[in-house]
Order: sequence, then C-alpha cells, then structure tokens
Amino acid sequence: MVRCVGAMAITGNFQPPAGENSSVEVESDAATIAASFEDSERFGVLFDRHATVIYRYLVRRVGVDEADTLLGETFAVAFERRATYDCTRTEARPWLYGIATNLLAHHRRSEARRLAATARLRAHSPGAEDAFGPVVKALTVADVWLRTARAITELSTEERDVMILRAWEELSYEEIATALGVPVGTVRSRLSRARTHLRELVPPDGREP
Amino acid sequence: MSNNIEGLDPVRGLRPDQLRPNEPAEPIVFSRHKEQLMTAISGTESYDDVIRMMPDIYPRLAYDDERAAVEYLGRVFAIEEIREARMEHGDTMLAWLRVGNGVVMVGHADEEVHRISSPRSLGRTTVQMMVYVHNVDEHFAHAFAQGADISMALQDAFYGERRYEATDLEGHRWHFAERFADIKARGGHVPDEATGGLPPEDRSSAM
Repeated sequence: MVRCVGAMAITGNFQPPAGENSSVEVESDAATIAASFEDSERFGVLFDRHATVIYRYLVRRVGVDEADTLLGETFAVAFERRATYDCTRTEARPWLYGIATNLLAHHRRSEARRLAATARLRAHSPGAEDAFGPVVKALTVADVWLRTARAITELSTEERDVMILRAWEELSYEEIATALGVPVGTVRSRLSRARTHLRELVPPDGREP
Repeated sequence: MSNNIEGLDPVRGLRPDQLRPNEPAEPIVFSRHKEQLMTAISGTESYDDVIRMMPDIYPRLAYDDERAAVEYLGRVFAIEEIREARMEHGDTMLAWLRVGNGVVMVGHADEEVHRISSPRSLGRTTVQMMVYVHNVDEHFAHAFAQGADISMALQDAFYGERRYEATDLEGHRWHFAERFADIKARGGHVPDEATGGLPPEDRSSAM
C-alpha cells in the first residue's frame, strides 16, 4: 500500500493500460489522485471518468431516486478518503465501486423492492425461461424469478455484494477484492457460498425447495 | 447465456437493464453532482493540505482546558481554528488556529512529556504572541465587548504601530497591532508623532 500523498514521482510513470490507444497520453487515476493533493480540483477528473458507470450501478441496485443521492455521496466520500487510496492501483474504478457498495448497505429495503419489480417484469418478457435451463415444472417461471429475487435479497450483504459486482458489473475477482478490501480468496469463497445459497433457495429443476 | 457460466445466469437475468435499455441518465444529474462536488472540494482543506501549509516554526500553547481556550480565542480574538487539523486524544486534543499567515497550536498542559504548563498553574508566562490584525480599532472594540482582559490599552506606539494587549483565560499574553501605513491605507488617522511605549523621560524630547 503506497499512499498518493507526495507520490507524484511514482504515479507520473504509469503508462496507459495495454490495449488502449497508446498514442494518447492518459493520466492514471492514481496520478490524478496524487495531483489532487497539490490542487484539490483535479479530483473532478475522477468524476468525469467514472460517474456514469457508478451511477448506472447505483440505479441498477436501488433505482433512480436513491442513486441520485448516492452518486453525490460516493464521490464526496472518495474525496475525503483519497489520502488512503492505494497509489499502486492505477485504476480507481474498483475503489469507487467499493465506496458505492458500502453506501448501499443502508438501502437494503429499496434494493429488495427493486429486485422484486424486476422479477415481475422479467417473468412476462420473452425468453424468460432461458436462465433456468430445463422447463420448470412445479413452479411457474414467474415464481422462479420472484424466488430468485427474494433469494438474492436474503443473502448476507457480503455475499450479495460479491455476486452483484460479478454478475451485473462484470468486475474481475481481483477488482472485487480491491473494491471490498478483502483478499481474492475471500471473493471466491463468498461467491461460491452465494451460489450454493441461491441453489438451495431456487433449485435449478424447479422443485419446491 | 444458456451455458450459465458460474451459475449466475438467474442473477444476471435480474439485472434491470437486461429488460429495458439503460436507464436514461439525464446529463443534468451529472452536471449537478459535478458542480456540488467541485464546490465541496474547493471549500475544503484536507488534513494533508493543512499540514503542508504549516509555517516551519510556530508555538504550541499549553492550556489546562484547551477546548475552552479554542472557544475563547475564536469568540474574543476572532482567531479561528483550522477544523480539519484537529486531533482528539481521549479527553484531550490538539488544535491548530490560523492567525493571518501564521499558526498557533493549542494543546493540553503537559508536565511529563513536553514539560509545558499553563500560565494559570505557573502564575506567570514567559512568552507573548505578536499578532498583526487587519483593523486593530475594530479588533480592540470586539475583544473589549466580548469581555477580554485588556492588559494594555490601545495606543499609538513610537515605532509606528497601533497596538493593545490582552491576557487570555489562562494567562497567555496576546499583543495585537496594525502598522500605521496599513491604518492610513484603510483611511484611518494616525498621529504625526507617536510616543506610546517610550519611557516618560523620553516622551517630551520626541514631541
């Protein structure tokens, strides 16, 4: 863990990630955070780069109204905590996901409502059975979606966060580990437990659990 | 999707924008939050900013009740705390107060480690804070109205400054002054010959 305070010498050397247009000089997020200790307004660059992604994530989880509030909170908290940012990490997006995820912990009820609403919509949309493989017998497809929504809601916060960051946001295990401040092994074991719980609550063959 | 990688397809299926196009994200949402963030950022100093701006030398003043001291110095002498810098240690704390381009640190009397005492427990002080203020007439009037213990009345000193002195709640001495040139610049009146601070026998010769 290297803090960005006074770390300009380190962060100045970061190259744009491989595969991106290398003819364009891109300042890394770490360099931006380091620079924000000299000139705090530089932090606004981080908002320009990541606000859209973080906002979409928040909307998916709790809906537009609460996402609006949480977007502002996420970046305000990020600014306050920038002294604790690990400056060896060039990309700040996982860190921002982590801050947003922590803030979401106080919004479980809205999340449950939103999942249930999505499940109802999903049950009546084309291809509703795809995710479940064999045709569901004892339960209707609509039931299965509702059960899945409830099952996600009933997971522990730790398991749910890992599962959503993986399935919806498509973060890598390493990125999830960074976001949540836990080892990669913990991400794997939480995801595995979450999957097991989900299977217990919603059996893939549609039998009554 | 149907191969259900990692067994997460049911979860993926509940990702809201699987059903509808991405929620329209109004550009105004972003511009509003960006503006709020920038306002908050430009109005704050982090602890690190504060540490960075410290002068290379500044005094640490010892008080038996440092919280009361910070309140008093702010209310009576208009010396404001740099709130972002405060460090709490259980019952005691350290505070940094901004005085123009200078800083004073206010902490608990510490007889063991730093061997600094409040003037109240010593019965005397050995140092005086020398402070330039923007308008010493107003500063004096404000301090007086707030019940300051004025230990030297406002006077025009022979070396070209208007000044007064006050003793704070635990006995630290504060000297507040404004240069004649600055008084004139704000349209104030200064005497041609000032004698404040001269010994009585020298006053007539200076006149």
